[in-house]
Amino acid sequence: MNAVHGRYLQIDLSSGTATARQLTEAVFARLLGGVGLASYLLYRFCPPGADPLEPENPLIFASSPFIGTGITTASKIAVVAKSPQTGMIGDSLSSSYLALALKRTGYDALVVTGQAPSWTVLAVDDGEIRLLPAGELLGLDPAATAHAIRAELGSGFRVAAIGVAGECGVRYASISNDGRLAGRTGSGAVMGSKRLKAIAVRGTQRLPVVADPRGVVRAARELAERSLGPGTAKYRELGTAANLAFFSRLGVLPTRNFQAGTFEAAEAISGERLFLEHRTDKHGCAACTIGCEHHYRTRDASEAVEVRLEYESLFALGSLCGISDPNAVLRAAALCDRYGMDAISTGSTIAWAMECVERGVRLPGSPDEWPRFGDAGSLVRAVQTIGERRGLGDLLAEGSRRAAEIVGQGSVEWAMHVKGLELPGYDPRKLKAMALGFAVSTRGACHNRSSAYEVDFSDQLDPHAEALAWASAAASSEDRAAVLDSLTVCKFLRHCFSDFFAEAAELFALVTGLPMTAVGLRLAGERINTVKKLFNLDQGWTRADDTLPPRLLSGEAGGLTAAELDRLIQAYYCVRGWDEQGRVPPGRLRELELAELLSQDGRMMYGYAG
Amino acid sequence: MSTGTTAVRVELFGSPQLLTGRRQVEVPGRTLREVAGALAHEFPALAGSVIDPATGWLTGGYIFVVDGRFTRDPSYPVGPGSTVLLVSAQAGGVS
Repeated sequence: MNAVHGRYLQIDLSSGTATARQLTEAVFARLLGGVGLASYLLYRFCPPGADPLEPENPLIFASSPFIGTGITTASKIAVVAKSPQTGMIGDSLSSSYLALALKRTGYDALVVTGQAPSWTVLAVDDGEIRLLPAGELLGLDPAATAHAIRAELGSGFRVAAIGVAGECGVRYASISNDGRLAGRTGSGAVMGSKRLKAIAVRGTQRLPVVADPRGVVRAARELAERSLGPGTAKYRELGTAANLAFFSRLGVLPTRNFQAGTFEAAEAISGERLFLEHRTDKHGCAACTIGCEHHYRTRDASEAVEVRLEYESLFALGSLCGISDPNAVLRAAALCDRYGMDAISTGSTIAWAMECVERGVRLPGSPDEWPRFGDAGSLVRAVQTIGERRGLGDLLAEGSRRAAEIVGQGSVEWAMHVKGLELPGYDPRKLKAMALGFAVSTRGACHNRSSAYEVDFSDQLDPHAEALAWASAAASSEDRAAVLDSLTVCKFLRHCFSDFFAEAAELFALVTGLPMTAVGLRLAGERINTVKKLFNLDQGWTRADDTLPPRLLSGEAGGLTAAELDRLIQAYYCVRGWDEQGRVPPGRLRELELAELLSQDGRMMYGYAG
Repeated sequence: MSTGTTAVRVELFGSPQLLTGRRQVEVPGRTLREVAGALAHEFPALAGSVIDPATGWLTGGYIFVVDGRFTRDPSYPVGPGSTVLLVSAQAGGVS
């Protein structure tokens, strides 16, 4: 096949050695690349029961066949490890030149195992690795770290780095590169546990050729043109921040830790207001024609900060914490980037603490440092204490699930997570497809691995449709997301295809030379989601993990009930061909052509008694 | 607004709000097509990126929400009691 190298580099930080290993064509034919490839490697390298913060947890960076082909937005790197938040698969994507650099090293992926004896920078220079001391970099934010490394090693290196949060073991620490983040599920904490401050990659090899160069150029040009059309208008004009006021109006804007779906001060922090009063400029990611990255600047008496802001940061640090001061939200978002931690989990864990305070639940530390709904200063202070794991922040750095288990006093009732991952900015009580998507998602509450909200925000389904219809729509949405994540194409392109699976299959065939159909690509998406599920089953997933926080299942005001969610989940298992307990029967594995691919590891249990 | 026709209150979000400078407007119309036409007429800034002047209907990037139902059906009936929102058709984001 074309467009891949067919090998990856396994790097053991404990011994300081690297080993090149082969990847068969079947891996790419069935799992595409990107998140699919990285999930497969995680399944192979991470033993059942591994502690996410111990050396046995591999940290995987994977590219895809599309990287370097000129296909717009396809410069994303997949970052996968067992999540220290969920204990299940943790997968993230980040747009950057690092993806291009990795592919030019002559490898399709890096698998980093072990733990360095002391804080280290891993330099990957084509196929050679060096472990460099990182002591002087400790305490620096990711941008400063990258700057220092490139100053020493050369500007040809591209850098992925953690900030202080990753050094301190904040469970939702992220990995930053080129100002973009592999944000969710705590890959930065995994990197920190390996005493790995940064990875610097330089690739000088020729990119592998595509199967049909002229066809790829033509298709890439057409897609780039469509990327500037109405399918991406929102992202180019206002960015995702535009969601906030509209979501509040619909009653689906998580407010004060999901105690409400409408924020009375939504106008003050709306995307429209931010655009008029705070926006400075707009950027695009590596190899992207859309340019959706909107930057904003604080406008108050304090020292100005400028930050990229998305809806998810805006809701998590705004309405979820009852904050109506846009300057505080921007400042808190900038701090999250500087410390290197996921803004959704940061805001949600702080909101949990705010509700504890509101309810009179005693927290560690001085009451003076406890965060309170609507108190902008306390929000910013809480972010700082988490990033440095001091005072109350040491507890909050564990995330809402663990913090609630430690504090007790009934506070698990308002820890708003699924499988340990805090919910993004969609109140699922009024969004039936998204509720199901959150509940069954392999990485915990996630709008990106599901995107099922699109069903809710459309006329695709009658509100009274049968559970199977909702389940089919949610599964289809997951499969499309898995394909996008594995081809490492931006989800903002999804409305630029008139028939996504057919057109993306044609692109895949032009790039790789492997035959692919719309049905085959949809099947690949299902296969990728199944590999993730198999990993979770190996790590101890049970049926009880597929659920939502009790607050969201009260049925109040016509919202979802536990019985209704259960019916949706059962229908979803049925659509997937799983058993009633959500396990993947061996026959389904054979149908998906996964049995042989995975059997080389000799563990084919997947949740069934051996 | 013409006398004798139904006035519909439309709430604008995102670019339509910025283009008109208004969060809420009232226009005549008994169907969404008539509402879209009236919006383009009364707020010419919407013609082009939001409402296609050639068809008098929404461009691909926008959708109406009527009483909680998302729809791009031009014949969808509306009345004085309807809650009509004009929003981007691309919900959500990435992270």
